[in-house]
Amino acid sequence: MLGLKIAAVFIMGAAIGVLYRIPRNVLLYASFNGTLAWLVTYSLLQAGTNIIAAIFVGSLAIGSLSEMLARALRKPATVFVIPGFIPLVPGREAFTTMQFLVEGRQLEALSMGVQTLFMAGAIAFGIFVSITVYRLSITYKLKSEFRHVDES
Amino acid sequence: MAAIQLEDIMNLTVSAGEIMLKNGAETSRVEETMDHIARACGAIKAESFVIPTGVFLTVTDASGRALTTMRRVRDRTINLDRIAKVNELSRRLADHRMEYNDANALLEGIAKERTGFSLLPSAVASGLVGGSFAVLQNGGIGDIAAAFCGAAAVRYIAHAISQLHGVRFTFEFLGGLVAALVGSLVHYFWPFLSQDIIIVGGLMPLVPGVAITNAIRDVIAGDLLSGLSRGLEAALTSVAVAMGVVIVLAIHTVR
Repeated sequence: MLGLKIAAVFIMGAAIGVLYRIPRNVLLYASFNGTLAWLVTYSLLQAGTNIIAAIFVGSLAIGSLSEMLARALRKPATVFVIPGFIPLVPGREAFTTMQFLVEGRQLEALSMGVQTLFMAGAIAFGIFVSITVYRLSITYKLKSEFRHVDES
Repeated sequence: MAAIQLEDIMNLTVSAGEIMLKNGAETSRVEETMDHIARACGAIKAESFVIPTGVFLTVTDASGRALTTMRRVRDRTINLDRIAKVNELSRRLADHRMEYNDANALLEGIAKERTGFSLLPSAVASGLVGGSFAVLQNGGIGDIAAAFCGAAAVRYIAHAISQLHGVRFTFEFLGGLVAALVGSLVHYFWPFLSQDIIIVGGLMPLVPGVAITNAIRDVIAGDLLSGLSRGLEAALTSVAVAMGVVIVLAIHTVR
């Protein structure tokens, strides 16, 4: 079952790549990024982590891996971010919220809606934090190299 | 390199920026690329201001003459391949591996070429997104097949709606409507199939991936205006999809 799911995430990444017209020569890297992030989230969930924390850590993986791939392959990082996070999108939760709302079960809808919002926020802030940290580390590295040049 | 007219520099640069913005690049990337291209062609200073609906550019040459131009961007699509190509072009110009004339010709080619896939491959890709999401939700083989059909139908709607330019959020609304209709109908005729999985699978291709990613990246880069408007775009898109689903669900529940 796990093998089937991994294959599904990989195919999903490639199909999203086709929909968003990702350059063909980096399509497999983008799918790989999505598969890895999903695996991180999945294994954390299996280990009993809270789903929001699991998604957050998965998104950290997406952001940092995307920036590294972008630097190595000289392509915009967006190309790798999008196939990365779409398998993590809380589609089921969003749909359940709407279903509760339509059925008039406001309390359940509210709790499910907040859950959906937090999951979406975990994705956004996971990517946000990892990109920021990655850029800071690059700037820090460049600065220390310059300092080295100045001293010598 | 022979001196290039300031007007030509300006036209090349602003066209490059327009192509990138039209195809879904984030603000800071458009501004940086325009800056690189203008400097590589011989401008001393290039100032650009980019918001999701327009590009403003001022270039200054060595004699201190400055020109300002703006381009309004109305139709926006998503084509990450073109962004990567313009990016590569600016990099080659900056490294002097390409001359102005070649760059101009190449840019016109990028703007005109058809990199998009025709309806059938993109419908299959959209279907695969829906089908594989159904796999992730532990759907059975019937659920997966139905989610594939739902997502492919959503893509067909997109193809039909894209003939009408300038109509915002209609495609997302109709897409949500169609995905929910497919799910409800399949569940009505084959009650053992899961309505939830089929509808959610059909909705997956409608997730505003580029808007979300660009909103995050714009905010990080400090382009608050663009970040806010792209965040709003993502939110409105989600609301449009949700409304399409809710209307079908509401009719379904009353019956």
